[in-house]
Amino acid sequence: MNSDSLYQFSAFTVILLMLAFYGGTYLMTLGIRKKNEDADAFMVSNHRVGFGIGAASMTATWIWAASFYAAATSGYTYGVSGPIHYGLWGALMILFIYPFGRRFRKLAPNAHTLGELIHARHGSSSQLILALSNVLGSVISLMVNFTAAGALVSVLSPLSFQSGVVMAGLGVLLYTLWSGFRASVLTDFAQLVALMAIAVVIIPAVFFAMGGPSELVAGLDNLTAEQANFFSTDAILNQGAPFFVAVLAYAIGNQTISQRLFAVDESHIKPTFLTATVGYGAIVIGLGMIGLMALTLGVEPLNGEMNNLIPQMVSSYLSPVYIALFFILVIGSLSSTADSDLSALSAIMMADVYGKNIAKGKADPKRMLLVGRVTMIVATAVGIVFASFSLDILVMLVFVGALWGAIVFPVIASCYWNRVTNKAFTVSVLVSMAMFCLARFELVPLTGAGGLLFELLASVGGGVIIGLMTFGFLGRTVGFAAGIIAMLAMFVFATGFLRDYTVLLASLTAYGTSTLVCVVMSLISRETPFNFDTIRERVGNYDGESAANGATPSQSATASTASRS
Amino acid sequence: MTILFGFYVLIWPALTLGVLVLICRAVLLDRRQARKENRELV
Repeated sequence: MNSDSLYQFSAFTVILLMLAFYGGTYLMTLGIRKKNEDADAFMVSNHRVGFGIGAASMTATWIWAASFYAAATSGYTYGVSGPIHYGLWGALMILFIYPFGRRFRKLAPNAHTLGELIHARHGSSSQLILALSNVLGSVISLMVNFTAAGALVSVLSPLSFQSGVVMAGLGVLLYTLWSGFRASVLTDFAQLVALMAIAVVIIPAVFFAMGGPSELVAGLDNLTAEQANFFSTDAILNQGAPFFVAVLAYAIGNQTISQRLFAVDESHIKPTFLTATVGYGAIVIGLGMIGLMALTLGVEPLNGEMNNLIPQMVSSYLSPVYIALFFILVIGSLSSTADSDLSALSAIMMADVYGKNIAKGKADPKRMLLVGRVTMIVATAVGIVFASFSLDILVMLVFVGALWGAIVFPVIASCYWNRVTNKAFTVSVLVSMAMFCLARFELVPLTGAGGLLFELLASVGGGVIIGLMTFGFLGRTVGFAAGIIAMLAMFVFATGFLRDYTVLLASLTAYGTSTLVCVVMSLISRETPFNFDTIRERVGNYDGESAANGATPSQSATASTASRS
Repeated sequence: MTILFGFYVLIWPALTLGVLVLICRAVLLDRRQARKENRELV
């Protein structure tokens, strides 16, 4: 992967940069380190993380290395609107989850994972489905981030891909292992400051070095009509729409987000998520503009590899100092996401697996901490191995995407509608996964009546997405109306057409199927409607005074609620 | 067109700078508040 056309650092310089970055980050964490960390703080700090740290951490976590590369690729491929169709929808993932997040927090103020809430609502099977989707997502994310580190090191230095992967993996583990989530959020702030400051400098620097606005406008002649059109249907259908469909799924299926949701001071949830939305959008769309600049200049990606676009532009137009800054930018973004993934995985294993399913309410905080740290070590090793061998994870990615789409409605409905049952949750997800596979891998012909059936299910899915998004902000009546209008519009316009876009069809089918099955099974169930007040009593802290006195998590939660009032 | 495209590209780093200032200011306030309440920042 080494290339003579890009600026090359010496091996010594790269090692020095890595040592400075990870060494500095590690030193930061020494300031908050405690000899005896407590299990709750290891997972969600003190549930009172402030607006500044919370917003910084949300933004840094959501920006991973692939964000820059994919935004630039989108700008290069789809032209003027390309960076928007990547960055805007990614940003909206943060925005659209916050109304639901407030509900989750209200139901279970002392939770550490969304799985704990679902466990209190339904029981183990639903919780473990959610935990499984979270684990798979975080492992994939770890692998992708370590891969990005390997690729960057191998492109900009004589060092091998594997050495980049190992340095990033060990570096992240080093500063996250002891203090867990607390180290993650604190270092996220520093990493985000560096990341933003560098982005603020690099984007205008490349822009003016390539000739500024006049050169960009002159280069528009190199674009096709679709690329020059801000409202390009090509960009909307191929980039924007699949991302839009995933907006809620990513946010629900990602423990890194729910972990921050449960950590931020309850009164700061809204400003935290709004700031993170703007911050993420601005950085990612801004760096995506470098792809648009490359397109207008007629630059060809080195070795045909789109991920080389940004380093290539920085290398061509700026001095080595800027390339070093770019190096730190990428390492910072991938590390902030990787440390969040490690914290998320450890919280899932500590709370969802050990706390709820092995210790069953009698969790030992010290053992929990051990479980969390061992999880981090194992996850890092798995991430390094997967990344080093460049394993093909496409099938895994497809399944995780489907699982996330399938759980969106059951998870959200379980938190608002007292008739949703554990059986409805579990069966709806499984049936939805099966229907997704039939459509995604075209196991049945998507023509005639079969094609129509999937398009109808996908139309329901489209209505569910629009309905849930509207419901989050504007309430039940408007949400229902928006969902039904969107579903009817899709019945009219998508039938006979959507079958040609298999990925989109399958994703929407997952949403539609799980919703239909979940609603029908819940309606015909004769179970007593659920009392939401019991969740608060069932989900509590594992550490602290009440736990030390022998109280179970539920007793601890009750005690903490009582002490607040 | 030149001004429009210049704005289109440069608005994003400008927004990033705005968010950066907002977050740094908020962290300083968080820190002050945490000290006042005699608790840790995270």
